[in-house]
Amino acid sequence: MSAVAEQIAAHGAVHEEAHDHVEAHGGNALEQLRNNRMGLWLFFVSEAFLFGGLLAVRFFLWGETRPDVNQLIGLAITSVLLISSLSMNLGETAMENGDRRTFSICMVITMILGLVFLFGVMIFEWGIFPSIYQGHETPWGNVYGAVVFAMTGMHALHVISGVIFIYIVWNLGRKGHFSPESHWGVESCAIYWHYVDLVWIFFYPALYLIGTPVH
Amino acid sequence: MNEKRSAAYRASVTVGLVLAVLSIIEYFAAIYLHSTVVIFLLALFKAVAVLNYFMHVSRLWTQQEGH
Repeated sequence: MSAVAEQIAAHGAVHEEAHDHVEAHGGNALEQLRNNRMGLWLFFVSEAFLFGGLLAVRFFLWGETRPDVNQLIGLAITSVLLISSLSMNLGETAMENGDRRTFSICMVITMILGLVFLFGVMIFEWGIFPSIYQGHETPWGNVYGAVVFAMTGMHALHVISGVIFIYIVWNLGRKGHFSPESHWGVESCAIYWHYVDLVWIFFYPALYLIGTPVH
Repeated sequence: MNEKRSAAYRASVTVGLVLAVLSIIEYFAAIYLHSTVVIFLLALFKAVAVLNYFMHVSRLWTQQEGH
């Protein structure tokens, strides 16, 4: 009888030890996740100073004026970025729910839309292909061109890094990485992409909508 | 699980539609109202929607794991 009781106690101790281990491990993982999130958001705060500075420059130098840009093109490329944010969110939601196929499709769509946005800015704002579309400004032409290129250029750098980030995450997901329980890579990539969109939410009216056009 | 997933997708699409509508209103507000304040208020609404629903900012101070 005592042997059986001893065995049960031993089993209980082992079980309890295993439970403690899992709890400790889970606790660490949760703590790590919180730290990761905090780190990413602190990075965004530092980035906000950069983009905020560019916005301040725009209002200081342009005031209540703006270059005579095509507002419809502005709305079109803004819509593309907005839709890319939606597809990214759907992709993240898909991974949270274990829907790998939708995740993969949404990541590819987001990448394509990110590139469409990038080329839209390069062609219609920067005018790098004059045979397709004559750009409005040059970076060295006047204060309007300089600010347009500084703002869209810095934003475009983030779009490029975002597209590379999405490609890496999509490729890892394709190889079986990430799960509904553990997908910080997907979450951070999604948040980063939404941040790029968030910056554009303020850049778009500052560049295209606010002020009287100057010819 | 499927029900939960569908609800999550629906929520995403709804937020996307709200953002689209706000962008269109912003565009016409710029053309007809010429008000910097109105345009920036609309941009602020869009930013709050993105921060809250897409970037899950509340996960920073809640116990929500997210995954």
